[in-house]
Amino acid sequence: MSRLRNPWGQPRFLALITGGYIVWAVLPVLIAIMFAFNDGRSRTTWQGFSTRWFTGETGSVMHDPALRDALGHTLLLAVICVAVATPLGVALAIGLQRWRGRGSGTVNTLMLLPLVTPEIVMGVALLLLFLNLFGGIGLGTDAQAIGQITFTISYVVVIVRGRLVSIGPEFEEAAADLGAPRRDQFFRVLLPLLAPAIIASAAVAFATSIDDFVVTQYLSSDASTTTVSMLLYSSARGAPTPALNAIATVNLVITLLTLVFAYLVYRRFAGRDEATSLATMEV
Amino acid sequence: MDGEIRLEELCKKFEDFVAVDGIDIDMPPGEFFTLLGPSGCGKTTTLRMIAGFERPTSGRILLDGNDVARVPPHQRNVNTVFQSYALFPHLDVSKNVAFGLKYHKLSKEERAKRVGEALELVSMTEFARRKADQLSGGQQQRIALARALVLRPRVLLLDEPLGALDAQLRKNLQVELKALQAELGITFIFVTHDQGEALTMSDRIAVMNRGRVEQAASPKAIYEEPETVFVADFLGVSNLLGATAVGQDGGACTVQIGDRTLRAQQGATDARGEVKVMIRPERIAVEPHSNTGEDRMPGMVERSVFLGGAYEVHVRVLGGELLKAMVPNDGGTGVGALEPGAAVSLHLPPDALRVLTTGEPAEEAADGEADEWAVKESNLQP
Repeated sequence: MSRLRNPWGQPRFLALITGGYIVWAVLPVLIAIMFAFNDGRSRTTWQGFSTRWFTGETGSVMHDPALRDALGHTLLLAVICVAVATPLGVALAIGLQRWRGRGSGTVNTLMLLPLVTPEIVMGVALLLLFLNLFGGIGLGTDAQAIGQITFTISYVVVIVRGRLVSIGPEFEEAAADLGAPRRDQFFRVLLPLLAPAIIASAAVAFATSIDDFVVTQYLSSDASTTTVSMLLYSSARGAPTPALNAIATVNLVITLLTLVFAYLVYRRFAGRDEATSLATMEV
Repeated sequence: MDGEIRLEELCKKFEDFVAVDGIDIDMPPGEFFTLLGPSGCGKTTTLRMIAGFERPTSGRILLDGNDVARVPPHQRNVNTVFQSYALFPHLDVSKNVAFGLKYHKLSKEERAKRVGEALELVSMTEFARRKADQLSGGQQQRIALARALVLRPRVLLLDEPLGALDAQLRKNLQVELKALQAELGITFIFVTHDQGEALTMSDRIAVMNRGRVEQAASPKAIYEEPETVFVADFLGVSNLLGATAVGQDGGACTVQIGDRTLRAQQGATDARGEVKVMIRPERIAVEPHSNTGEDRMPGMVERSVFLGGAYEVHVRVLGGELLKAMVPNDGGTGVGALEPGAAVSLHLPPDALRVLTTGEPAEEAADGEADEWAVKESNLQP
């Protein structure tokens, strides 16, 4: 009888699996980050701590033109993506929310399609589109931005609509009742109430854009349209130095900070549960 | 005086559902008018059409003689207190109250003065800097009221504003709201499903059922002189008996219930054939079974429910129907304390018996008959 389990005890076995998984998932990333700070050229043998691959005179993220340009291009695409996808997504979300009647259900489903479409399919499709139909745009920065916007809008719509549902129509009705015309119902009431969702969705759009590889790769043209993820992919099999680890680390930190920021903003206004679902959706 | 609302053949259809089915109501200026009915009866839709949130399918909404049915909500001189209050969570109390004043041409000082007055009116002055979510339900209700009243509307619409509050607070606010209305002289249009609330507060009540108005009258008339079976059933406790109207006896209608003949002086006394006869429990006198004769029915006590101030005595009369009689609590020696099984005689005075024709809402009558007791107890407490 002494072997009978204590039903009030901690579930040790589950804790072990969980702990094991976390180590398995995080350890490689931590090791990669660690070698970004390696003093030597090796990405496998530790030769002491240094920040030379971040800021050093040669071959560092800051001074190697290829790395610097890739980081710059990544951020440029991310900014364009946020600037276009956020307002467009907010407008779409509000439009879809208000649209009651024939076709609204179909469109609602279609809006989610980019989220579940394999990215490679999306990438190939967009490539054909830009090559054959919209030759005027051509491949390069414009095409990359349009491609990223196409699927990041879905994230914005999903997040903003979630918030719209929880806000409900009553606040706008109250504003109308108190004499506010349409314009003021939006700017004085709906927009402030949506603000946390808008900020959060902008952050998610930003992070998604930075992380994207497939679509961005397909729609790239020359070296000037190389992003960090493309660079990492192409040089991983060439002659890599810890500078690649360094630029990956920078990328990771930017993404993480953005998402933490989104989570905090959203939690501040909309409550912990909604914020958690938001964070887990992306990360 | 301003603030008169007239609804003329007002209709609202939602796809295949008719929410409001051609109603005509007169709401005189300065009155506390209540739309009362069960959920789904169309009362809230009616209110939302007056506010402008729903567009009528057909019909007219006259505010002081002008048809406002096509006027958008922000241009109507009516304001609403929402069921959930809908206070703007991103603004503090005084900014909530000041929200609508922006659309009135007022100086800054005047605006601040009006906000102060409105907060004073609802005794919430010290909460001016709080956020809406830092207030209790009752406090939010007061702010919602202040936010609407500060605009000095001609008509104030209230959509079950007390629905979310607990019983004690509700009672207090009922009295306050009524006093406020009397003081301001603004027309209040109040929506509720709570008949007790409606009876306490209103100058006039329109009882609604399935998108139609069953009866619109003073609370006393609605209670004492219901015109339809539905109204009789919905307000208070009613004894409704299936009967056959057979003839006339002076000013009274003679009705046959089982093998008993009773006289009824109220209601549709000229009706013949299948009718319903209604009597309130407090109008039935429980007498010793030796009292036989006119206007009486013998029966047997089935049980006696103690209600504090009174007993509700359930008596099964010959013919099988169950009647409820209200007997004041006289200390436990009277008929109220009767044991189940005791034989009694019920006195049903002709001036308290009301004849109701079952009319067209056939399902309603069928419901009543399917109900074994033919008596429905509503939630009105004595």
